[in-house]
Amino acid sequence: MTCFNKKYVSLMNKVLDDEATKSERDELFAHLATCENCRRHFQELKQSTELLNQLVHPQLPIDFTKNVLEQLPAEKRHAIRKWTSRHPFIAAAAVCALPMSLIVIAAGRQNMVQGKTDRDRFILLKAPENRL
Amino acid sequence: MDQKEKRLIKKVKKGDHQAFAELVDRYKNSVYTICLRMVGSREEAEDLSQEAFIRAYNHISQFDSDRNFSTWIFRIATNLSIDSLRRKKPSVSLDAEIPGTEGLALNTILPGGETPPDEQIVRDETEKWIQHEIGELPEKYRSAVILKYIEDLSLKEISEIMNIPVGTVKTRVHRGRELLRKNMKASRGEEDDML
Ligand SMILES: [Zn+2]
Repeated sequence: MTCFNKKYVSLMNKVLDDEATKSERDELFAHLATCENCRRHFQELKQSTELLNQLVHPQLPIDFTKNVLEQLPAEKRHAIRKWTSRHPFIAAAAVCALPMSLIVIAAGRQNMVQGKTDRDRFILLKAPENRL
Repeated sequence: MDQKEKRLIKKVKKGDHQAFAELVDRYKNSVYTICLRMVGSREEAEDLSQEAFIRAYNHISQFDSDRNFSTWIFRIATNLSIDSLRRKKPSVSLDAEIPGTEGLALNTILPGGETPPDEQIVRDETEKWIQHEIGELPEKYRSAVILKYIEDLSLKEISEIMNIPVGTVKTRVHRGRELLRKNMKASRGEEDDML
């Protein structure tokens, strides 16, 4: 006999969400003991989410963080000052290259400001819901 | 958000790269997992994860330090993934033919001769199958199910990430779960005799 009782589906959801009361659990499991369809349905629901849980969490390459940092806009002045006090020689060498790099940075900034802002706003501010 | 993280955010807002590196290390694997399960390709997920952190850094001034950084970065990652799925959707099928290249499938004439993304995803067969089934879910169920069952987040956290009421998250998790059950069963060739 096929069981079409939606009441048990909603009880299954409650149990799977860990939100069922003791009596709701008892009611569901009493029904599962007698109804093969619901029993199978419940098993399958549990199984499909357990499968998700078993998926591996692959690792990112070791240099991921480094790669991200390399793509950030240059550090602001106080951070640079902190760094130069720790690395005076490299800092001195860097001063020679400074005028050139400033031009490059300025050009880069300009591109960023012009091109990316609209989509950025879209990604950052809108929740996924609003975009469906 | 813990005090350490609050201090890090404060430094990042002043432009401290090292502080940001600590935040990246804290959340990179979760961000990568979300992107990977949303889009299905490791390579693409890596790019999306990188983009998510760069965006977070560039817009850190908009981040409210009283909230969780995890919520914010997970939201950016989810949105970027959905965005990328949408941009791909209307594109030409890789099996389509271009006039003048009779008999050659598009993927054999693309520059670089790269393996199609689908094939580099996950080697293991079960893993591949599960990923395929996740990919069959509509985006809004997919993200809810991934955050709930792969990231193990609470409905409350998911509701903050997706900016929707807890009740809506619950409905999406239920529908996603049910759809996943149904599709997995169908793909195993079993008949579904209920509902
Ligand atoms: Zn029943």
